[in-house]
Amino acid sequence: MTDKSEVRTALYGQTLIAGLWRENPVFRLLLGMCPTLAVTAAVKPALTMGCCVIFVLVCSNIIVSLMRNLLKPHLRILMFTLTIATFVTIADLFLKAFQPEMSEVLGPYVPLIIVNCIIICRAEACASKNGLIVSVIDALGMGIGFTLTLCVLAGVREFLSTGKIFEVQFMPDAFVPWAAMGMPVGAFITLGLMLGLVNVITKREA
Amino acid sequence: MLKIKHFIQQSWLLIVASFFFGLLIAVTNAALSPRIVQNKINKRNRLVGLLLPGSKNFVLEKEIEIESIQGKKEKVEVYKAMSEADECVGWSFNAAGSGFADKIELVVAVDKDFEKLAGFDVLASNETPGFGDQIKYDYYRDQFKGAPAEELKLISSGDPKKIDAEIVTISGATVSSEAVVEIINNFLTQIKEQMQKKD
Repeated sequence: MTDKSEVRTALYGQTLIAGLWRENPVFRLLLGMCPTLAVTAAVKPALTMGCCVIFVLVCSNIIVSLMRNLLKPHLRILMFTLTIATFVTIADLFLKAFQPEMSEVLGPYVPLIIVNCIIICRAEACASKNGLIVSVIDALGMGIGFTLTLCVLAGVREFLSTGKIFEVQFMPDAFVPWAAMGMPVGAFITLGLMLGLVNVITKREA
Repeated sequence: MLKIKHFIQQSWLLIVASFFFGLLIAVTNAALSPRIVQNKINKRNRLVGLLLPGSKNFVLEKEIEIESIQGKKEKVEVYKAMSEADECVGWSFNAAGSGFADKIELVVAVDKDFEKLAGFDVLASNETPGFGDQIKYDYYRDQFKGAPAEELKLISSGDPKKIDAEIVTISGATVSSEAVVEIINNFLTQIKEQMQKKD
């Protein structure tokens, strides 16, 4: 009995950690590139986007996991999209009501979470095959992994493009901001360098 | 009959889920929409406050029916901006029309005699970043501050610092600049006419 529960705890731990590093959605699976490139000019919008994704991911994984035995194979993608769209709309309404400024900064990228591949990938690969607890842990792992990656990326870009992190000044006034880092080109360069770095690290590990 | 049975068998989950999710969204929307509307009003008042210095309260003066650029009838709420001493310092109204990518929503402020524009600000727009969204930038918006409240004209080159009825277009974003001028012209002339007629 104890053996079983130990195995189970280990599985939960692995599922959680997988999303953070080994199967990190941005660095390892290369999913959800659109928000990764679009909303990482500063940390605050990146964090807001990350929280929205965690919320949608957890909710949609719960629903998909609960109805996994009722799904008809050829209608499953339709059901996933319907579920995801519902929670994205709710998240969008909450943002508009409680974070109107962030809602404006993120603009169309909040509704675009509907087509974020991470969420549909987790519904398909995990929630539609596993029980409730594993699905929730998987969603949390993937969501937090995504959020952390976004925040690191945004931190680097915000720091270089304004000298600030989370709107707190870090550099002396003499610092010349790299305006390009705040623009799309900065997103591609930072993401490319980070992917390279992660590849080097994982190669060393292996 | 068999067909209907097959249809229900295949799609009952989808139908049930659609109803359930629809209800969920409706409840959330009903709970949050007053707050969202209030947020919009607050933002509008903040922007108008910047355009009309000294304004403190905004009172709905009257609703005016105007004809939009597409020829549709539209109701516009004209707000009177009051100073702390309860004097009228100007007027403001929302104006909207189609831009380059999507609808552009503006808030326009006019001085108390409807003679000069106090400026405009963008409430919502979806113009191309880097080009069309320059309608939000000061160097374009400043051209409207103090411009005569009459038919504005868009010119392709000139001195943007000169305040008159000629607005210099944003290079690379002619459509967006044009849209803003057109929206303001359309709303301003009709509202001005009706406000002055009844006063």
